[in-house]
Amino acid sequence: MNTSFKKFKETLIEGLLMISGTVTSLTVLLIVFFLFSEGIGVFSESPVEAGYSIALNKANTVTALSAEQVKNIYDKKITNWQDAGGKNEAIIAFRMDDIDTYYTEDELGSSFEHLPEKINELIEKNPGIIAFVSDKYKAKEFNGKIITVKNINPKSFLGGEQWFPTAEPAAQLGALPLILGTLWVSFCAIILALPLGLATAIYMAEIANDKVRNVMKPVIELLAGIPSVVYGFFGLVVIVPLIQDVFNLPVGETALSGSIILGIMALPTIITISEDALRTTPKAMKEASLALGATNWQTIYKVIIPYSVSGISAAAILGIGRAVGETMAVLMVTGNASVIPHTILEPVRTIPATIAAELGEAPQGGMHFKALFALGCILFIITLIINLSVEFISAKRK
Amino acid sequence: MNTKITFLTLILASAVFSSCKNEGAKTEETTTAVSITMKGSDTVLPLAQKEAEDFMKANAGSTITVTGGGTGVGISALQDGTTDIAMASRDLKATEKLKLQEAGKDIQSATIAYDALAVVVNPANKVQKLTREQIEGIFTGSIANWKEVGGADEKIIVYSRESSSGTYEFFKEHVMDKKNYASTILSLPATGAIVQSVGQTKGAIAYVGLAYLDVSIKALEVSYDQGKVFVAPSVAAAKDGSYPVSRPLFYFYNKSSEAKVKSFVDYALSDAGQAVVAAIGYVPVK
Amino acid sequence: MTEEILDASGRAKRRAQRIAFFTFTFMSFFVIAILLVILSFIIIRGIPAISWEFLTEMPKDGMTKGGIFPAIIGTLCLVAGSMLFAFPVGVMSAIYINEYAKSSWVKRFIQMMTNNLAGIPSIVFGLFGMALFVNRFGFGDSILAGSLTLGLLALPVVIRTTEEALKSVDDSFRIASIALGASKWQTTSLVVLPIAFPNIITGLILSIGRVSGETAPILFTVAAYFLPKLPSGIFDQVMALPYHLYVISTSGTDLKASREMAYGTALVLIVIVLIVNLLANWLRKYFGNKVKLH
Repeated sequence: MNTSFKKFKETLIEGLLMISGTVTSLTVLLIVFFLFSEGIGVFSESPVEAGYSIALNKANTVTALSAEQVKNIYDKKITNWQDAGGKNEAIIAFRMDDIDTYYTEDELGSSFEHLPEKINELIEKNPGIIAFVSDKYKAKEFNGKIITVKNINPKSFLGGEQWFPTAEPAAQLGALPLILGTLWVSFCAIILALPLGLATAIYMAEIANDKVRNVMKPVIELLAGIPSVVYGFFGLVVIVPLIQDVFNLPVGETALSGSIILGIMALPTIITISEDALRTTPKAMKEASLALGATNWQTIYKVIIPYSVSGISAAAILGIGRAVGETMAVLMVTGNASVIPHTILEPVRTIPATIAAELGEAPQGGMHFKALFALGCILFIITLIINLSVEFISAKRK
Repeated sequence: MNTKITFLTLILASAVFSSCKNEGAKTEETTTAVSITMKGSDTVLPLAQKEAEDFMKANAGSTITVTGGGTGVGISALQDGTTDIAMASRDLKATEKLKLQEAGKDIQSATIAYDALAVVVNPANKVQKLTREQIEGIFTGSIANWKEVGGADEKIIVYSRESSSGTYEFFKEHVMDKKNYASTILSLPATGAIVQSVGQTKGAIAYVGLAYLDVSIKALEVSYDQGKVFVAPSVAAAKDGSYPVSRPLFYFYNKSSEAKVKSFVDYALSDAGQAVVAAIGYVPVK
Repeated sequence: MTEEILDASGRAKRRAQRIAFFTFTFMSFFVIAILLVILSFIIIRGIPAISWEFLTEMPKDGMTKGGIFPAIIGTLCLVAGSMLFAFPVGVMSAIYINEYAKSSWVKRFIQMMTNNLAGIPSIVFGLFGMALFVNRFGFGDSILAGSLTLGLLALPVVIRTTEEALKSVDDSFRIASIALGASKWQTTSLVVLPIAFPNIITGLILSIGRVSGETAPILFTVAAYFLPKLPSGIFDQVMALPYHLYVISTSGTDLKASREMAYGTALVLIVIVLIVNLLANWLRKYFGNKVKLH
C-alpha cells in the first residue's frame, strides 16, 4: 500500500514537472498563434474603413484602384484619370463633408433626409468624380459605380514604402521603412559595440588579472541590468542634444542616437558571450603558440581569436537580436520618421517603437490593429532567424 | 531557505490583506464614495489627472483611476465594459459607433473643454506668421526650407504626434485640408517630447495644444483667409472663435453607468472643474 | 625572458603587443566609464529629488510634485505576481529538463524553445499579453494580466539559471542517494535541490531585476498613468516605476516641472537594480564558499 502510494506520488510529481517543462514551448506556440492569427487578418481586410465605399461615375472606365492611388488622388498628387488608368478627365475628389459646397442646407433637408439622393445626383452629374461615401447615406437605387480597393497583399505590405495607417479613405501599410529602420539601427549599434565589446572580452579573458576581472564582471552585469527606459531617458536628455551639437545637425533624434544607446545595451551580451568563447580555447594550443616564441598578442590574434570565431559571431548576432527587439529606448530617441534610412544622421522608425506608439490609439480589431500584429510577426520572425542561426553556430562548434 | 520563507509569507500576507480590503471597497461603493476608471486620449490625460486629483481631495473615499493609451484604447475599453469613462480628443468613428451599438451600449458624451492647437517654432526662428496654405505645404512636404516662407535659409524640421493620435487627425482634417503628412516628418509619442525637441531644434515646426506653450517655444500667428487676418492662439481667441484651430475634448460614458460617473462629470463641468481646465491651459466650455 | 636577444623583429613584436594591450585596456576602461557616466549622471541629478516624502507620498499637482509611492508599490506587486508564476514553473521546468527528461531529443527541444522564448522582444510579449490575458481571458488591464505577461518574460531566465545550478551539482550525490534507496523525487528534493538552492535563488533575484525594469510588456496590460491608491486586488490596475518614468519624461503639459521627479524615479529604478545585483553577487560568493566547505 505504502509503496504504491509512493509510486503514485512519484508519477504525479513527474507529470507535474513535465507539464512545467512544456510551458515555454506552449508559450512560444501560443505567441505564434496569436500574433499570426491577428496579423494575417490584415490581408483580408479592405483598406477602406468598414461602412464606407468609394464610388465613381458609371461612365468611368476605371474599375479598381490601389490604396496608394486612392491616397494620391485625395492628396491631389493624381489629378487626372489618365494617371490612374482611365480616360482623360479631371478628377473631382469628394468627401461627405464637402457636400455643403455643392448644396445648401435647405436642399439637403433639416435632418439631412435628402442627402442620399443628392449624393446620387452629384455622382451621376460629374463624370470625373470619385466619392468617398458612408453606406448609411447611399441611396437605394445607387447610380454610381462602387469600386473595390485592392486588399493589401504580403508583397505590398513588406515592400511598400509608405506607412500611413490612418490615412483616409484608404490606409497605407507599407512596412519596408520600418523593417529597414529596425535593421539599420541595430546593425549600426553592433558596428559601434562589437569592437568595444570584443576588446573588453579579450582584456578580461587574457590580459586582466583576477582582481580586475572580479571587479569588472559584476560591473558589466550591472550594465545589463539597467532598465531600457532609463537608457531611453538618458538618451533623451544627454545623447540627443549631444549628437545635435557635435554633428551640427538640424535634429538630434537620429538613427545614430538610437544606435549609441542600443550599442551600450548590447555590450554586456557581446562581452559575456565572447569572453566565454575566448576561454574555451584549449590551454595546449595557447601554450604551443607561446612555446614557439609568439608573443601573447600574436597568440591572441593568430590562435585564440580564430579558434573562438564562431562564439564571437554568436555574440554579435545575439547582440543584434537584443537591439532589434528593444522598444522604449528607441522610441524615445530616434525621432520615429517612417522613411527609408539613407544615412545614420537621419531619424528612423523601428518596428517595436511603432507598435508601442500606435497600438494604444488603433481601434481594436480594425485593420490598423491587425497591421501592428503583423509587424509583431515580422519582428518575431527576425528574432527567430537570429536565434536559430545562433543555435546553428553553436551546434557546429560542438 | 529563510529568504524564501520570508518572501512567501510576505506574498501570502499581502494577498490576504488585499482581499479583505477589496471587500471593504465594495461595500463603500453603495454610499457616497465612488470608484471610477477613466481611460483614453493622451491629450486629455493631464486635465483628467488634475480633475481626478482635486475631485478625490473633495470627496474622500472616492478613487479615480486615470489610464492613458489613446482614444482608441479608451473607446474599445468602453465597449468591453472595462472602463467607466473614455477620454477622447476626437468624436467616435463610424466603426466604433457600430461596434458600441452591437455591444448594446448607449453612449453619452460630455464636452468638457476645447483644445486649441498652436503652430509652434523655435524662438530663434524669425518667422512670425503663416497662412493655412503655407502650413499645409510645410506639413505635406512641398515647402522644405524656411526661406520659402520668409525665414532664414534653413531646412524645415517637422515634428508631429503619432499617426494614430486624435491630435494628428484633427490637424490633418482642419489645417491640412485632409491631405496626408509627408513621410519624412518626425513623430514623437507625446506632446511634451515635441515641446522639448522644438525648443532644442532651430528649424523645427510642430503643433501643440495651448496647454503646452511655454517660453522655450514660440507660437505663430495663423491666417485662415489667405493672409488677410492673422490671429495669435490664445484662450480668449479660441473662445470667441477668431482662432480657428480648436477642437472639443470629450468624456464618453455608458448610459447604464451614468449614476456612478455623474458626480465626476458634473464636477468637470462645474465652475471648479472649468477652472482646472483653464489652469491646465485648455479652453473652458463656458 | 630577460635573456632574450632584442633583435629588431623582437622589439617590433613587443611594441605591437604593447600597443594592442594598451588599446584593449583602454577600451575596457572606456566601457566601464560609460557605465559610470550613466550612473553618476542619474545619481547626481536624482539625489536632490529623493526624500522621505518622495518615496512615501502620492503624486500631486499634475505629477510634478509629491511622491511616487503608488508606482513603487505597483512595481513590487508586479514583481511578486510575476515571480509567483515564473519561479515555481521555471524551477520545475528546469528540474524536468535536468533530472527527469530521458530522451536527449526532448531535452534539446525544450532548451531550444526556452532560448527562443528568451529571444522574443519584450514588445511582442506586450502584444501577446494584450491579446491573450487582457482580451481573450477578459482579465482587462490588471495586475493579473501584467504579472503573467512579465512572468512569461522572466521564465527563460529562471529556467536557465536553475538548470545551471542543477548541472553544477556533482553526480556522485545523486548516485549515493539512489544507492541508499531513495526515490528519484526524494533524491531531487532532499539532496540535489538544497545544494543547488543558493544558485537558484541568485537566478530568482536576477530575474526580479529584469522584471522590475520592463516597460513594453506592461504598457498594454496593466500600467496606469495616474492612480493615487494602492491596489486592492489582482484585478486592479497599478502604476509602475518604469512606465511612470516614461510618462513623466515625455508627456505632461510642463516637462521641466516634472524633470526632477523623472530623475528621482530613474534613480529609484537604478537603486533597485543595484541592490538586486549586489545581493545576487553576495549570495553567490557567500554560498559559493559555504558549499565548497562541504
